[in-house]
Amino acid sequence: MELLPALAISASGLTAERLRLDIIANNLANINTTRTPRGGPYRREVPVFAERLQEAMGQLPGRPSSRAPGAGVEVAAIVEDNSPPRLVYDPSHPDADANDYVHLPNINIVNEMVDMITASRAYEANVTVLNAAKAMTLKALEIGR
Amino acid sequence: MFLTPTMYVLEKALDTATLRQRTIAHNIANVNTPGFKRYQVSFEDQLSRALGLEPGLPLYRTNPYHLPPSGLELAPQVSRDTSTTMRQDGNNVDIDREMVDLAQNSLNFNVAVQQLNTRLAMLRYVINEGRR
Repeated sequence: MELLPALAISASGLTAERLRLDIIANNLANINTTRTPRGGPYRREVPVFAERLQEAMGQLPGRPSSRAPGAGVEVAAIVEDNSPPRLVYDPSHPDADANDYVHLPNINIVNEMVDMITASRAYEANVTVLNAAKAMTLKALEIGR
Repeated sequence: MFLTPTMYVLEKALDTATLRQRTIAHNIANVNTPGFKRYQVSFEDQLSRALGLEPGLPLYRTNPYHLPPSGLELAPQVSRDTSTTMRQDGNNVDIDREMVDLAQNSLNFNVAVQQLNTRLAMLRYVINEGRR
């Protein structure tokens, strides 16, 4: 049993939460974007997290339950939020439609802020776990010294 | 000669602490994964049963070729806790509990290392004194 996989697991958590923070930053930066390369307003993006299971290699046969649980988390996909765009009446806007309504991105700033705090707290929790694993590894080096 | 029961148990305790560290890391990494159910490691109940601290059926092997009864060989077991739900998305990682487990686990690990070191220091002491 080794401790180094624990560091890798925490690192996967850090990467995932960092990516989520990046996506939230991108959403907030584009909160008023009405033009995208494929036309129409920007659409909110959300990451989909999935549990990363451990590869089946190196496991003892017949002892399935004594193995380590998994290998952390991974971002399975980044999907677009399909909720309808916000409509704002503004005839002077260059991107207003035939009815003088502007289609703004479907981003709710409150949602994004809450997600941001969740992501940053989860990031901190992963850092704490990483530090604990590091301390344990250093302690293990003291065995028999 | 060197592998006394104490050393054996300490080794298993270190093994368990390591496995538990990985389990907690995995749980916390998946704190925002929808539908994720936490894993848990059980070992102490096995240990107390093996040490005879808990009432149970004592089993002895009269022949080394007999299969060991389950529980005689100490191995930490990982299981999935699917009984609870913390959130709407089915995730049941309780971050407070995981952090407490983490602190406790680090302490357990340090205790085991320290005890192992004391044991080894004693061995070294005996060997060195005999040489003099």
